[in-house]
Amino acid sequence: MKTIEKVHSRYLLKQLPKATVLVNKNHEVFDFSDSWLTIFNLNANDAKGVSILQLFNNDNNSDQKQLKNCLLENGTTTLRHKKQNNQGEQWLESMFAPWFDEKENVLGTIIQTTDISEEIKKEQELKRIKTLLQAKSEIAKVGSWEYTLATEKLIWCEVTKRIHHVDDDFEPSVNEGIEFYKQGYSRNKISMLFHKAIQDGIAFNERLIILTATGEERWVMAGGKPIYENGEITKLLGTFQDIHDQVIAETKIKESKQLLTTLIENLPINVFLKDKDSKKILVNRSECEYIGADADEILGKTDFDLYDKEVAQISRDEDLEVMRTFKSILGKETISVKKDGTTTNFLTSKIPLVNLEGQAYGIIGMSMDITHIKQKEDELRNLINITAVQNKKLVNFAHIVSHNLRSHTANFSMLLDFLVKENDEKEKERIMEMLLHASDNLLETLENLNEVVEISTNINLDKKSLNLNESIIKVQQNLSALLQNNQVEVINAVSKDINVMCVPAYLESIILNLLTNAVKYKDPNRKTKIELRAEKQDKGVLFRISDNGLGIDLTRYGGKIFGMYKTFHNNKDARGLGLYIIKNQIEAMGGNISLKSEVGKGTTFNVFFNDQS
Amino acid sequence: MTKVNSIYIIDDDPITIFGIRKMLKTIAVCNDIQDFENGKVAIDDLRNRIREGIRLPEVIFLDINMPIMDGWEFLDEFIALELKDKVIINVITSSIDQSDYQKWNDFRLNCQHYLNFKNKPIYKIEPTDLNRFNMAS
Repeated sequence: MKTIEKVHSRYLLKQLPKATVLVNKNHEVFDFSDSWLTIFNLNANDAKGVSILQLFNNDNNSDQKQLKNCLLENGTTTLRHKKQNNQGEQWLESMFAPWFDEKENVLGTIIQTTDISEEIKKEQELKRIKTLLQAKSEIAKVGSWEYTLATEKLIWCEVTKRIHHVDDDFEPSVNEGIEFYKQGYSRNKISMLFHKAIQDGIAFNERLIILTATGEERWVMAGGKPIYENGEITKLLGTFQDIHDQVIAETKIKESKQLLTTLIENLPINVFLKDKDSKKILVNRSECEYIGADADEILGKTDFDLYDKEVAQISRDEDLEVMRTFKSILGKETISVKKDGTTTNFLTSKIPLVNLEGQAYGIIGMSMDITHIKQKEDELRNLINITAVQNKKLVNFAHIVSHNLRSHTANFSMLLDFLVKENDEKEKERIMEMLLHASDNLLETLENLNEVVEISTNINLDKKSLNLNESIIKVQQNLSALLQNNQVEVINAVSKDINVMCVPAYLESIILNLLTNAVKYKDPNRKTKIELRAEKQDKGVLFRISDNGLGIDLTRYGGKIFGMYKTFHNNKDARGLGLYIIKNQIEAMGGNISLKSEVGKGTTFNVFFNDQS
Repeated sequence: MTKVNSIYIIDDDPITIFGIRKMLKTIAVCNDIQDFENGKVAIDDLRNRIREGIRLPEVIFLDINMPIMDGWEFLDEFIALELKDKVIINVITSSIDQSDYQKWNDFRLNCQHYLNFKNKPIYKIEPTDLNRFNMAS
């Protein structure tokens, strides 16, 4: 019966699916299951009596002590150990339990061994993934959190904790977690988002500000997502990322971009960017105002669409040159003419736009409107010229005055000297006559000089519209005796509808002087003919008086014609001052006088009367 | 009394001409005193004399400021005639302008004639205004 039982039990052992071995007190293998043999790669005959210590320890000495402890233990123990086989390392887990007989006497140890290689592998893989995940989250500064609805437990990962500047063992409640957010917008927002995620299952991802445990304000990106189980939300899983530096950098970029845009937009200089084809790709407000259109209308257009063709071509050539040579044009004075003919002076700079490959893909242009400065400059130059001319006139005038007065006083002095020394009564009378003559001359000189001064100082000239033809006829009548005596033919070809803007007294003086001048320098060998013509011009009237007189050698005397000479004597040639005076009169009225002459043929005086006052 | 064959007075002021003629009477004997109202008529007359072989003036009284052709222009043309005989030219002016004196000096240094500078008023004509030969001897 005992044998049968024994056989039966042995047979039972042999079939056990879990590798099992019976070891006696000497740690020798007594019996085993087939599955045990497979694990330890033994056959049944070799197995019996083998020391279990040897079997277990064939590769790892450190396990020896543990193993012995397990064998001695009265209760159940487990031990993980590994074993080398042809496939490599094999992880095993053995469970030790005491082996009793019917009378509870210890016969040895029952050891059940499981191959846990797969589990270990999985465990290692899990550990690896966890490590990887942690590394990843640490590097990316992306933390995570988990909230379980049932337990109301909130779990933060290490990174999340670090972002909050809390210790690794910190365990927050939901309220504590929310209170890290900055009071106001951030805290309200996260409360609402968290609530909505639990209530309505709405995922979120939001940029918010937290106040860390150390009191530092930082930008974070908080994300959350509901996890469903059987159609019910059981958990929220989320990410938590420190995006502070990124947000600050973005803000800075935004700020500097804003600054740049504001600067360009508001510069009182026309700023524009053009592409390779000189199409405008950026214009600022000044440029828009100058062109007189909105930026939308200007962008994509070329100078040919906006400016006069000639000006546009010059500008296009400049653009191409700048892009070709990479040399900037700096502070060049340019003139821009719009389609409507408006002309503007600019101080223009053009700088090549270069991409990262070092190729020019357009130009940056800057133009400053200097029209006003230019005008001022011209005005100033004009003023300087006028002043210089005036100054020259003054010096000349002063010189003439002193000269003329001196010449008269010299005459007085000489004649008086004669008078004192003279004994002959008749001669004395002659000298007295001369003195009277000299006195008259002096008076006339003073009158003439006075006339010149009057023209020069007459600032507010009262110009009137006068009929030129009628004025000529009037002067002709006054000069009728002179003209008849010299048998002069005057041809007044001035159209009756031409009026000139002139001071009445000046017009008479001008016509009179030019007519008498023509008579004075007539050619005695032919009949004197004087022709008077006039034509309307843009800003006034051009009046011409031509004669067939002696003519003047302009290369020799050109500079002296309108000068002032010492001809204040009461001789038959009358006043040599005439041309000097009328030149002053004409110029005082904003006009000018010039002449053409050929010796032996005649002279033509051109007088321009300015319409403006 | 200095004997002079021919004298020209070129001045547009009849009083000055009157004065010079009067002063000449006291110092010179001359049967040929001519006056001209400007440089142009004087140089035309000179050219005419050269053409016709008439005796040329030995002394000229020359005003500077005159219409049509002034004293300086006359001097230019006169020097251009390249006369063989030296002529005494008395430049007379009421000008106290330094540049006129400078101009006179430039002419004096650059021509073969004798040039005197006389400022108005003139009360007397000096022998040197009429004859350089006497001075040298």
